[in-house]
Amino acid sequence: MSESQNLLLESAERVFADLAPGAAVETAWGKIAELGFDGLLVPESSGGFGGDWADAFAVLRRAGAHATPLPLGEAMAATRLAVDAGFDCGAGILTLASRVIVESRVRDRFTGRLEAVPWGGDANAVVFDLGGALASAAVAKARVVRGANPAGEARATLIFEDACVQRGEGAMSALSAGALVRTAQIAGALDAALEMSVRHANERSQFGKPIGKFQAVQQALAVFAEEAAAVNCAGQAAARAADHDGGAFEIAAAKLRANMAAAVGAAIAHQVHGAIGFTQEHPLHRLTRRLVAWRSEFGGERVWAERLGAEICARGADALWPFLTARGDAAQKERR
Amino acid sequence: MQTFSTRPFEPPVDPGVLRAQVRAFLAEHQPAGDAASRANSWAVADRTFTRALGKAGFIGMIWPKDYGGGGRHPLERYIVLEELLAAGAPVGMHWIADRQGGPLLLRYGTEAQRRDLLPRMAAGELYTCIGMSEPGSGSDLASVRTRGEREGDHWRISGQKVWTTNAHHAHYMIALVRTGERSQRQEGLTQFLIDLKSPGVAVRPIIDLVGGHDFNEVFLENVLVPDAMRVGEEGAGWRQVTAELSLERSGPERYLSSYALLLEFIRVCGDRPAPAAAELIGRLTAELWTLRHMSRSTAAKLAAGEDPALEAAIVKDLGNSFEQALPRMIQAISDVDLASDSAFARALALLLQIAPSFSLRGGTREILRGIIARGLGLR
Repeated sequence: MSESQNLLLESAERVFADLAPGAAVETAWGKIAELGFDGLLVPESSGGFGGDWADAFAVLRRAGAHATPLPLGEAMAATRLAVDAGFDCGAGILTLASRVIVESRVRDRFTGRLEAVPWGGDANAVVFDLGGALASAAVAKARVVRGANPAGEARATLIFEDACVQRGEGAMSALSAGALVRTAQIAGALDAALEMSVRHANERSQFGKPIGKFQAVQQALAVFAEEAAAVNCAGQAAARAADHDGGAFEIAAAKLRANMAAAVGAAIAHQVHGAIGFTQEHPLHRLTRRLVAWRSEFGGERVWAERLGAEICARGADALWPFLTARGDAAQKERR
Repeated sequence: MQTFSTRPFEPPVDPGVLRAQVRAFLAEHQPAGDAASRANSWAVADRTFTRALGKAGFIGMIWPKDYGGGGRHPLERYIVLEELLAAGAPVGMHWIADRQGGPLLLRYGTEAQRRDLLPRMAAGELYTCIGMSEPGSGSDLASVRTRGEREGDHWRISGQKVWTTNAHHAHYMIALVRTGERSQRQEGLTQFLIDLKSPGVAVRPIIDLVGGHDFNEVFLENVLVPDAMRVGEEGAGWRQVTAELSLERSGPERYLSSYALLLEFIRVCGDRPAPAAAELIGRLTAELWTLRHMSRSTAAKLAAGEDPALEAAIVKDLGNSFEQALPRMIQAISDVDLASDSAFARALALLLQIAPSFSLRGGTREILRGIIARGLGLR
């Protein structure tokens, strides 16, 4: 890890740790904006931090571990996509949407809905996929129906009626960018839930010894560690591929793997914690409820699996290994 | 808590050039066969193929040139291995010499042992097997009872080894033998190279559940082994063996055993698969892709001289679980006649039967998860 990435991580860690679990976006966002975190993926020439997706992955993973209740990843990704596509979105929070229902689109006029938009009611503008390109729209032009995901994170439906949108091209879709953000957060939340579970297993005694001394508990936590490791590796590889050429294939595979791990990890964390982990008071639910919610956001298992499977079958069996190896070798070569 | 730190896989050569060389070699030398013959290919022994591979410089790649090796980088060897295994090439004949025998001699062997054996191993002409397990020593390896008594400049060795893969082809067995008192179980163990043509050695086949012959029992009755064939220090066997075991846990062989079936399944699904089939193929590919990165990251750490014991245990258990689940999941969504002679049905039927061995060989699932739990600070 580079020196600048270390400094970035340290300051991110401080901000995340200082935020109260129930921090409201109106009061908490100021600190993020002041440090310029939302510009992490924006080139220095455009006034940003000049970081890459590998940096963003490292920061968002810590945000996931702290269950940070802010649209940090969405803002980072949307700001980058907006710069790539040449959008002028003004100041304030930028967010991302992947659930797009188009009723009509004529050139730059859009009628339809964006659903489950993270902090859609608090953002200034939203970046989304529209007809094979990127688009952005001002939230002020939409009717906002506020809601929340199962973890209590703000999710809004934005309803547009013949609204003006900007359109442009980018290396990544909003769906891909959001999936990589969620993969990083899932990786971090799994790290933190695993740590909490191991600590609990070492502290909680039954039958005269810590429950972590029982092989049944040890084997369950070993499986948990394997799942967390898988998401970490998949996410880092996807971030490198994103830096290479957008990484559509790798992000699909990584989010799919992360979704599988989120389900397994959350279940084991609760099983190890027993009843105490089921209370509002215990912090475990801040992680596990997010894991459950994030699994369905920016592509659930089925969405990504069908897409990947169709792509692989279209290429044919004999092309799979050459494809996998060429992708990996190319992303590596670029780094060197 | 981060249990698996990563390291980028950065070979010193262009991987594409090396892959092209291996693929060209395979196009010329890989025996024709169906998917069943390509499955689990590191258990398939083929002397002709192995000799050709040795001649092409793909065995002992990372050993010094002085000993007949290739002097290449460990990550170059990794690339060659993953290409061979993904293609389902029969690498079983030389597998143990290349992976364990040669490296063991380079670390602990004498100069005479290296000069004598390594060039022939690298040529694909000399094969080894590993004599660790015994009837009473499976996962509890420190309980081995095969006994060696010193007699001048020889050792007199008696006992029994079991599950000895390829002993019927191998020239030498690398045997773990008790040579000292057992006040501490892990002490008093020593490794020897036993010439399997020595008087007192008897190799008897163990036929596996599908009728295959990979395993053997090896009986040792007053076998005289020169002290010159001792590998490493007397009493250092346990340390040598455990170091070796952790080196062999994370290679591409730990997740590719069922890969030939995945390819056959993609083939039968055609270019417009049903949604459920596409979903399964996508899911399996995502896992495969993830495991490949985990395995490569661990290889990069090994190549850099780190000791990624925890990471390696994670790769093996997760990889074995994947290669075991793959045939099961494909069976679940396929309306297939397992009695039929199609390439797909034959590969599926074989893998469904042999998959249980994947999480037994090289450390059982339970042992690996115990290692991971220790790494987590639970024991």
